[in-house]
Amino acid sequence: MNHMKRLSLFLVFCFSVLLCSAQSNELPPLDKSPMDMAYYPNNYPVLKIQGKITEPVAARVIYSRPQKNGRIIFGDLVEYGKVWRLGANEATEIEFYKDVKIDGKKVSKRRYTLYAIPNQDNWIIIINKDVDTWGAFIYDEQKDILRTTVPVQKLDEPLEALVMTFEKTDIGCDLIIAWENIKVALPINLK
Amino acid sequence: MIKPGYISPLLLFILVSCINSNEKKADETLKRPDTTISSTSANPYASVDVSPMDMSYYPVNYSQKKMTHDLTTPPVMRVIYSRPHRQGRRIFGDLLKYGEPWRLGANEASEIEFFKNVTIQAKKVTAGRYVIYCIPYPDKWTIILNNDIYTWGLKIDSTKDLVHFDIPAKKAPTDFEYFTMVFQPAANGAELVMAWDDTEARLPINF
Repeated sequence: MNHMKRLSLFLVFCFSVLLCSAQSNELPPLDKSPMDMAYYPNNYPVLKIQGKITEPVAARVIYSRPQKNGRIIFGDLVEYGKVWRLGANEATEIEFYKDVKIDGKKVSKRRYTLYAIPNQDNWIIIINKDVDTWGAFIYDEQKDILRTTVPVQKLDEPLEALVMTFEKTDIGCDLIIAWENIKVALPINLK
Repeated sequence: MIKPGYISPLLLFILVSCINSNEKKADETLKRPDTTISSTSANPYASVDVSPMDMSYYPVNYSQKKMTHDLTTPPVMRVIYSRPHRQGRRIFGDLLKYGEPWRLGANEASEIEFFKNVTIQAKKVTAGRYVIYCIPYPDKWTIILNNDIYTWGLKIDSTKDLVHFDIPAKKAPTDFEYFTMVFQPAANGAELVMAWDDTEARLPINF
């Protein structure tokens, strides 16, 4: 009995430490206030007030950040082979401030909804033109403007909250999407 | 002698106290990123999302309604903002100084987008995206639309102010733990309701 109690206390403690600890990698931590968006260039609004902008704003993603909360995410909570809303609540929105190219196809500047079909080794990223919508509940494939497949990469450190950020590349930037123990990168050509 | 049965609740209590004190420390220093989850808090206008993002549309809950209604018109407007917590502090006249600009939120500057032309206090506001911020006073708020979009709330370039609107600040019907921005239907359009602590202000928007 005492043994069980000690074990359960230990588990509670581990969970608390997990909740208390910051995300231990270079990806942005969860905001204290409940909202999240990511720009390319990264931290564009902060760079702006610091007078450190070196290139124009090219993209922004607005998304909600579900927590892992001890659950198994990929292959379980988020089922393989099904359209996932890449977040929570309002559908995830990506906006391009200039025409870009993804997987060789032109994507005109405007707002889009971003979805994904996660699989074990790759994700299909979907860019859809139906905006201001909720989740993936009324996802309409007819409104897709593009689908592209990107490989799944393993992370060393697990992530409690879903995160999206941009990373600079030779051709422009990658949209990084990471949760649990994996990440994917969507290459965006800004040339 | 403490019975073993009391030990786990006791230790849990100590643990929880320890977590709380850590949180307070983080608030004071603002150095440690906080990944704790805010529980939903009672709020008559919009409950706080467990997942950290907030935007409000008009028509209210436009994106949810899209699931069940055949909406043929685009939304009229939306606001994207961050929701600071009161956390026992006095907000107006204390944390937020009267007569000084306040970013109406936290982090990124709050953004309002009109998807069609609207009229506010008899002034036409062209469809588009604006930063929205405020100068609070004891009995009124000056609401400002600004063209310096995609910026951080702490340093808004007032030379890019587009228009100022004075609206009354009133006692809210209830206390708001989280800063809240939401649209409500009103005569000739809608109101942008802004509420925090014991105060609320309403900006009528006609369209």
